[in-house]
Amino acid sequence: MRRTWVKRVLAVHGALFLLFIYAPIVMVVVYSFNSNPINMMIWSGFTFDWYWTIFGYPTQLNEQTLYVDSTDRLLAAVQNSLIVATSTTTISTVLGTMTALALYRYRFRAQRFYQGLLYMPMVMPDIVLGIALLVFFVSFGMALGLISIIIGHCTFLISYVFVVVSARLAGMDDTLEQASADLGANEWVTFRRITLPQILPGVIGGALLAFIISMDDLVITYFISGVDSTTLPVFIYGMLRRGVKPEINAIATIMLMLSFTIATLGLYFRRRH
Amino acid sequence: MARRGDRRRLALLLGPVTLFLGTCFIGPMAVMIVFSFLEPALYGGVEWSFYHLNYGRILGWADSEWESFDPVYAAIFLRSVRLALTNVVILLVICYPAALWVSGLSARWRTLLVFLTTLPFFVSLVVRLFIWVLILRPTGFLNSSLIGLGLISEPIDIIFTETAVLIGMAYVLLPFMFLPVYASVEKLDRSLIEASSDLGGSPLKTFFRVTLPLTLPGIAAGAVLVFIPSLGNFIVPDLLGGAKVLMIGNLIEQQFLSARNWPFGSALSVMIMVVMFVLIIFYLRQIGRQGANQ
Repeated sequence: MRRTWVKRVLAVHGALFLLFIYAPIVMVVVYSFNSNPINMMIWSGFTFDWYWTIFGYPTQLNEQTLYVDSTDRLLAAVQNSLIVATSTTTISTVLGTMTALALYRYRFRAQRFYQGLLYMPMVMPDIVLGIALLVFFVSFGMALGLISIIIGHCTFLISYVFVVVSARLAGMDDTLEQASADLGANEWVTFRRITLPQILPGVIGGALLAFIISMDDLVITYFISGVDSTTLPVFIYGMLRRGVKPEINAIATIMLMLSFTIATLGLYFRRRH
Repeated sequence: MARRGDRRRLALLLGPVTLFLGTCFIGPMAVMIVFSFLEPALYGGVEWSFYHLNYGRILGWADSEWESFDPVYAAIFLRSVRLALTNVVILLVICYPAALWVSGLSARWRTLLVFLTTLPFFVSLVVRLFIWVLILRPTGFLNSSLIGLGLISEPIDIIFTETAVLIGMAYVLLPFMFLPVYASVEKLDRSLIEASSDLGGSPLKTFFRVTLPLTLPGIAAGAVLVFIPSLGNFIVPDLLGGAKVLMIGNLIEQQFLSARNWPFGSALSVMIMVVMFVLIIFYLRQIGRQGANQ
């Protein structure tokens, strides 16, 4: 009797827990179609206009809340984000995978040092890393821009790829590599034909994670981006600081949908392998 | 490694990452620590001389005269610690029962619910916080709904309060508490709980004597993972706390972007880093001790 009562309370709590996570998200999606230009939280009808507005098309609504150049700046920010995310994903996937292989395959004295070194950027609070990078770049006279952002993102994304690939390596079947070597394949052939296909899901998973985190990073980018190198999160943060406009609803909804799609794809990919 | 070929391959694999993290991670940390001991000059520059009063200022002594004690920064530091701790407690209260609930479901539902809980983590931080700005501001969803329902006549002030900051931080950091707690709850040996209730332990007693002690490692991990990013947070207090709820992160941001006192900002960052290291070392030692006991 008593235990079913406990279970019921837990189930109600669970429902509220999910409501706390998802009700705000559902709200922002619904209200991004609200045609009320004065108070965006009072429903006055369905419209697609905010979506047209962010892409710079003239609509009935945006005459009241017109941004002259914000569409260009938004698209430039998206472009910057994509450049940064693809570069950092490539660099950190290669370096992270190499490090994971090295620490998995070889036993050496500095092993624990390397493990610590790779975990450190992940636990370091964003603001500390951002400040440190800013002070570093400025005192060595490096201009703040896309390059500084890419370097900054790589310092912590290598660690994420390293962790994901290491987990995959830990579950790998060593006997296949030994068989390949016994059959006379050289190290490179063994790597390409045996090791790489086995760890590939981990590498792709790590790369996806790195891409998402790089696209989303706000705090570190905020400190080390230059005037012309605003990324999407920094741009939205700036917009929010100046005041809430209905267009941000539409931008938020698009970003929500993109993140959900990428995350779901990532999960699907991981489960298939 | 004895074989020469292995050594060469190891060097090839580790060389690039050593070079990169050496210059672009350890380098910046070192420069920041050096900066925290330099004297701030006028107009944002630094004097290259040893200066300990950046740290003195955090504690309340801005110059060498000991009468000028004014712990305004220490108060902000303490407020940040208090808010971060409160956030840990809030998330524990939210996530622990949820983890218990999820762990009692069928395997299929468990996978789905863990996925649903972590999914928002992949959504941009700004977007997640923007949603709470929309809900909590004076003309926001909460106030509009309450006024629309006739429950209140004047909008209640909730944005730019500590409550708003705590709601935002809990929302943003939820997976960091849920996942470690869930992992330890799921590993729990159910036969121990059944044994306890078979022997006449009430659900409450079973919980406090069996379930809670066994899941303590997960709670500790979640607490550390939530406390560290809460302490240094500046986006949440900036958007939801405004100028009223200043946290250490906002103070650091101000030193770099408006006050232009880089050494002081660096010293504040170093303080956060020290707190983080102390916590992690303490945590690792506790985990090590537990491992030794088992």
